[in-house]
Amino acid sequence: MTSDAVTYRQLLETNNALQVLSDEIGWLCVTRTTQESKLFPLAYMLLSFFNAYYRYPTLLRKIEARMSAEECGDRARNMGAKTTLLNMGWCMPGYYINGRELLINMGLVRPEDAVEDLMYVIDFWRRFQLAYHRNDGHLMTREFGHRSQVQPERQLQIFEADALPVVAGDPLHTAAVRFMATISQFSFLSHCECRMGICNEGPYKFGGDREMLVRDFVDLSQCDFPWLDGVADDIPYNNLTMPIVVKDTHFYLVDDWGSFESKPEFRAESIVAIGLYTSDPLTDGYIPVSMNDAAELTATFNKLQDLFANATARLWERFAKWSRSEMIEAGALVYYNAPALLAHIAGVYDQSDWMEIDDRARRFVPLLNDEYGRDCLTEMLGPVSLPSQQAHDYVMSMHSNRPHRIYSPIPYGVLATGDYTRTSGPLFPGSSILGAKSGKWRTSKGLLDQDAYNQAAQAFTPSACNDENRFLDDYWLNYHHAEPAAQELYRHAQRQSRVLSGRGASLTRADIERGLAGR
Amino acid sequence: MKAFWEGKKFGHAETTPVPSAFHTAVRALVKRRLMESGADWGSFVFGSSYDLITQKDFEVIESDLLASGYRFDVSATVSAKEAPEKYKPLRGQDEYEIASEAVDGKLKVGQGDNVVAYPHNVVGVARYVHTADDVIQLMINGVPEDTIAIIDDSGGTLTAPILESFKAVVCMGGTVRSHLGILTREFGIPCLMNAKVSGIKNGDRLELNTSTSAKTAHDYQSGVEKPAEVWKLV
Repeated sequence: MTSDAVTYRQLLETNNALQVLSDEIGWLCVTRTTQESKLFPLAYMLLSFFNAYYRYPTLLRKIEARMSAEECGDRARNMGAKTTLLNMGWCMPGYYINGRELLINMGLVRPEDAVEDLMYVIDFWRRFQLAYHRNDGHLMTREFGHRSQVQPERQLQIFEADALPVVAGDPLHTAAVRFMATISQFSFLSHCECRMGICNEGPYKFGGDREMLVRDFVDLSQCDFPWLDGVADDIPYNNLTMPIVVKDTHFYLVDDWGSFESKPEFRAESIVAIGLYTSDPLTDGYIPVSMNDAAELTATFNKLQDLFANATARLWERFAKWSRSEMIEAGALVYYNAPALLAHIAGVYDQSDWMEIDDRARRFVPLLNDEYGRDCLTEMLGPVSLPSQQAHDYVMSMHSNRPHRIYSPIPYGVLATGDYTRTSGPLFPGSSILGAKSGKWRTSKGLLDQDAYNQAAQAFTPSACNDENRFLDDYWLNYHHAEPAAQELYRHAQRQSRVLSGRGASLTRADIERGLAGR
Repeated sequence: MKAFWEGKKFGHAETTPVPSAFHTAVRALVKRRLMESGADWGSFVFGSSYDLITQKDFEVIESDLLASGYRFDVSATVSAKEAPEKYKPLRGQDEYEIASEAVDGKLKVGQGDNVVAYPHNVVGVARYVHTADDVIQLMINGVPEDTIAIIDDSGGTLTAPILESFKAVVCMGGTVRSHLGILTREFGIPCLMNAKVSGIKNGDRLELNTSTSAKTAHDYQSGVEKPAEVWKLV
């Protein structure tokens, strides 16, 4: 065994993560059943898993050569972009280990193969997650009883103070509710039937029986997906965040897929205030969109509603003409692309890294008929019945009490035998049948090509993440809010706030709600 | 030479036919190519196997299963359209038998999981939407007023351009947390997911019990049934 051999601690931590993810995916799946779509052959998911298995370790190392996983998590916490609970909280590790499990069942890899890759992917995920969730102190929403509280106090104060009040049936309420439905529908379509473009985060406690949910809609305009070029060109924002404040409705569940449940059931009539923001890797926090007054925001929702409705119709017509192979590939790339925003944040994005199918994964396409796709996914994530997933007869798994676990742990026996392999190797050539991307990337700095976007990202550090501010968290601020550094941090975040501009760090929620009551 | 999966102590084979057939064939292929190569596993698994296990091999595995007379279940309409020789015909709409007698002019013809409890039941006219061609026709001709769409696709994309025009939706798959459940909730459209229906024809007047309580994640996890009825008004 060499000096850089795998350690017992590494295996313990990795296998713990595999078991936690196994427990959670089991719960997430039992509450949904296997999805089927008449438009998209869902076997695309399997292709994405193979691609993730062969490519994520190399590409995450490429990101981390420029920016650590922890800093990626800090950046992600200050924007509503594609680093959501869903994309990074579950999809990134989930797709990789789904691919591993399938390949084990095909006899193509053993549980003790590519051990360093697996440990690295899990370790990257853990460090990202702990940084992203540092304000709530958890690794996943499941540890928090299915809740997520990512935002710092200063941003929550802005969301609360600037939210525009609505009453069911008034023009802003009507426009906002219709817009949320339309953008949700566009997002499912643009993401080839998956929910990765929508995420809900929260809840956050406001006074007076009010709670807030932060809703993110991401990859809306020209972005990594070439099929949006020419369809979504006139959509002026690539990401939109909508804080919605509800009264007398408690969100008791916000899971790692960004879904929520509430008591009583969430109804549009329960929304009492709303906001709209945009952000991306080049914004210094959340930028308000038409938040000056209700009339301005109503007009914006109505305008965006029309843009998204038109884009939905155009995109549907485009997809309806696609071949099965194109649909499989697009769906696979949407899934596989889950962590790609980290490459944009770090300024090392390459379209060939994140929007192509590796030759090693493409081999499997002939197997991906509809029935194999459905049944393989169901066996792996429903009854957990694939051969590799069976454990000894005394095991009682968390949700079913049956002797199985979804993800094969790394056998500790590798420490005794030394019989394991380290890595699946560097990237193989990739390709895409979808054609080259013709458009650019819609950013807060305008439409940028790949090189310009990378250069801008490398040159930019949001103020919340610079060396002076990065570690000034809510618990430090609790004891130091009157100090100049704290006041400056808050004032910078408040610079575009309609209500809180210049108010500084010593405000409390009660101050804000007294102010709201006096308006 | 024994492959790593041979002699495995715990468990069983795959339980569904296609994964079982494909995985068995791939495992046999891997063993054969490994032995023919003379390589050890360490140099094979992420080295020579990339050249020795190819797309052509997987095409042969699929062909062998089809040659046995097996035909795949179809989910996406494009699959059957492009390769009808590989797929069974699309499933019919009336596979579920639900026997009942009319009571007060209402005949129970199905049930599903209610997504959101609304103050009142919804009444409308049944219309099946199975394929992209059905959607295109409705886009061209318009969605008739009071349409209760009966859909066997739990995804949110098939009906994307016309979903907002439906009065209600009955979906014969998924759960209240599936994409179509999420979207109908957003649009405020009453919806029953995971529905079983029988004896409904296009144009029938239906009433959906959308005022009953919604099914929750906990209900699914604990196996609690909360059927919301579909009645034909006779």
